[in-house]
Amino acid sequence: MVAFAVKRLIQSVFVMLAVAFLAFSLFAFVGDPIAQMTGVETSLEDQDRLREDLGLNDPFVVQFTRFTGDMLRGEFGYSFRTREPIGAMILSRLPATLELGTVALLISLIVGIPAGIYTALRPRGVISQSLLIGTLIGVSIPTFVIGILLIFLFGVQLGWLPTYGRGGTVEIGWWRSSLFTAQGWRSLILPAITLGLFQLTLTMRLVRAQMMEVMRTDHIRFAIARGVPWRSIRYRHALPNTMIPVITIIGLQFGGVIAFSIVTESVFQWPGMGLLFLESIRFVDIPVMSVYLVVIAFFFVVINLAVDLLYVAIDPRLRVKESF
Amino acid sequence: MFRTTFPVAALALSTTLLSSLPVAAETFRWAGTTDPQTMDPHAVNAAPVLSFLNNVYEGLVRRDPEMGVEPSLATSWEALPDGAGWRFTLREGVTFHDGSEFNADDVIFSYERAVSEASDVRSWFASVTEVVRVDDFTVDFVTTAPNPLFPGSIANFMILDSGWAAENGADLPARDAENHATRNANGTGPFMLAARNPGIETRLVPNENWWDTAGHNVTEAIFTPIGNPATGLAALLSGEIDFISPIPLQDAEQVEERDGFEVLAGLETRVIMLGFGHDHDSLLYSEETTGANPFHDPRVRRAVAQAIDVETIDRVIMRGAAEPASQLVPAGLSGYSDDHADRPDYDPDAARALLDEAGYGDGFSFGLMCPNDRYINDEAVCRAVASMLARIGVEANVNAMPVRGYWDELRADNFDMYLLGWSPGTFDAEHPIRFLAHTPTERLGTWNFGGYSNQRIDALLAPIQSEVDPAARQAMLDEVAGILQEDVAYVPLYTQPLIWAMQENVDVVQRPDDFFMLRWVTVN
Repeated sequence: MVAFAVKRLIQSVFVMLAVAFLAFSLFAFVGDPIAQMTGVETSLEDQDRLREDLGLNDPFVVQFTRFTGDMLRGEFGYSFRTREPIGAMILSRLPATLELGTVALLISLIVGIPAGIYTALRPRGVISQSLLIGTLIGVSIPTFVIGILLIFLFGVQLGWLPTYGRGGTVEIGWWRSSLFTAQGWRSLILPAITLGLFQLTLTMRLVRAQMMEVMRTDHIRFAIARGVPWRSIRYRHALPNTMIPVITIIGLQFGGVIAFSIVTESVFQWPGMGLLFLESIRFVDIPVMSVYLVVIAFFFVVINLAVDLLYVAIDPRLRVKESF
Repeated sequence: MFRTTFPVAALALSTTLLSSLPVAAETFRWAGTTDPQTMDPHAVNAAPVLSFLNNVYEGLVRRDPEMGVEPSLATSWEALPDGAGWRFTLREGVTFHDGSEFNADDVIFSYERAVSEASDVRSWFASVTEVVRVDDFTVDFVTTAPNPLFPGSIANFMILDSGWAAENGADLPARDAENHATRNANGTGPFMLAARNPGIETRLVPNENWWDTAGHNVTEAIFTPIGNPATGLAALLSGEIDFISPIPLQDAEQVEERDGFEVLAGLETRVIMLGFGHDHDSLLYSEETTGANPFHDPRVRRAVAQAIDVETIDRVIMRGAAEPASQLVPAGLSGYSDDHADRPDYDPDAARALLDEAGYGDGFSFGLMCPNDRYINDEAVCRAVASMLARIGVEANVNAMPVRGYWDELRADNFDMYLLGWSPGTFDAEHPIRFLAHTPTERLGTWNFGGYSNQRIDALLAPIQSEVDPAARQAMLDEVAGILQEDVAYVPLYTQPLIWAMQENVDVVQRPDDFFMLRWVTVN
């Protein structure tokens, strides 16, 4: 198990290097950072000097090697735009994104799993049908439209919830959290629903499909024949069997939630990493973009690893085989 | 969809409250699309930074609501004999936010900081050779040539406390890594920086010891950048923010019609224009014309100008908020030429005739470069221009792109024609001549992407910069405006509008440079 984890972590370094390389080679097309960093009146010689100072004239290989070298030493460099150290920048934005992603995922699980079970057990019920149609809408409307609709309904028309930002934060060490105040939750709820809606739909449909399949398997039929109570059949025998693929998908989706919170963060002006990334693209802040992508790649790798390990913990059959 | 009854009730309530209570000062929340990336007034010469910091720092002079130059940290100024420069008499008894005294040393320190290699505002002092301390409250700016507009041109040159900067290691603007002045500020201005959370929120509180009488009633001001226009609009309509700038033109009407909100639509000093690839030997993006550049012929350029119906662009795309422009500066700006106030008539027939005369009667196709997130509805304007040109048989292939890559493309000469907006930083007609009309060199004509070149204009620039007699200066500016119009070096389209939106109980002053001055804000 330990050897497996170590092996995966070593692989992850290569994944991140590959991401950094791809990102770096794409940045040549993003635009000119110098034009974003200087005013209109800055002379061309001053612009050229700045370009030289920042090492932007160096060949791609030199720039890439310098970047990876700095990263390996734990130096993330400085933002072109604000001159802040990027490590601190990302770290200060990380809690907002992680809290948003976690709450969104929890919402999708707390609502999605029961709804999935319900729609599996009563496939022809009116409630089931309307839930399924409702989630269809959830999948097909783009995130930003859902976000804007929620903002206008609950923020502007009803005036119940804040329309933007992250209010009521409490600092616990360097971690700025919005989970400890009512105001914090009020500003968290709309973005979390927006971000979680797609996951919710996915979870519900996945649980439903799995549950329906499991209910048709031999061991459930046998249990029914034996006269095991329905309650026990459904929740003790059928449900755990549906959860294995669900956990896999949801685990993998969490990486997606973190990475794709960009749109939600932008719509709600949620000060997380995604918003930072968007701003960085706008101002061609190449160092921040690179570090962000590498950090996201790291998240994906860690989450995949965690899912693999969780798999082993849940499914006893996998413990016997050395299938890795 | 929209809440209509609630604001009315709230407004009625607040009116009854107001009648019984004295006007209470308030926390003022405002939003803009871009966060000022630094609190250092010399690090970046960009509007979001200078606009914001003008509330915290001050210059020797400042601009009034009509853009006139008025005393600030200098009480008076006079030209030195023989045009050797300018003498500024400094205001006595002014203190910085940390309590230290303001004097000539701070001015000299700030000057040296502003002309250092790490500074982005060096161009303001191109004509200055040295700054001399005459006494504690008098300084001379020595210039190479007489420079009548110098005081106004340094209105955004903000003064830092030399002692504070030295103590905190902020002697120079941050170039690579941030320094103390990137997130902290110690100015003399009406507001003090209370908290700075880059990209998220910046808080200002009034400076109780400000030398001038405060005209505002704000007790705390909180700035939040909101990049997404729909989010910004929702924040305004829900009452979470008091003021936002800018809002999209298409939302202005909706906000205006709702109770409790107000839209302030004025004109910015920015002229939107079309530029040509004057020094290109051949069109780059043409399907049939190779080895030739029709835009070399002034008749073709004039045909373009006459084929574009600016009135319609204004009415349909800019919702009537823009104003047609005839020159590189908007009407009424210092140095604007009244003799050349007429733009070419919209006349497609005349345009077709001109093309015929130039030998392009069958038309031609070319590439029109255009930003899609820089100016108001910029891409829509380019598309409208393309469809208007199509009517005279000229096919413009519009290539619209985000501004982050746009200037790079223009500098690499990847265009046949392009869209450009220009707001003169000095609020004088000399500015666009220096940057757009002069033949490109390392320091001059740096935004003249098409390489327009006219010897007479090049020769006139220096005399315009140093002419002290207003009439003689205006005569030269008139001549340049005439040459540019005659040559159709650019096709000025319109002056861009400025759209601010706020709660009805907020009074602000909209200055044409789009700077937001908290000292003119009252919350009723």
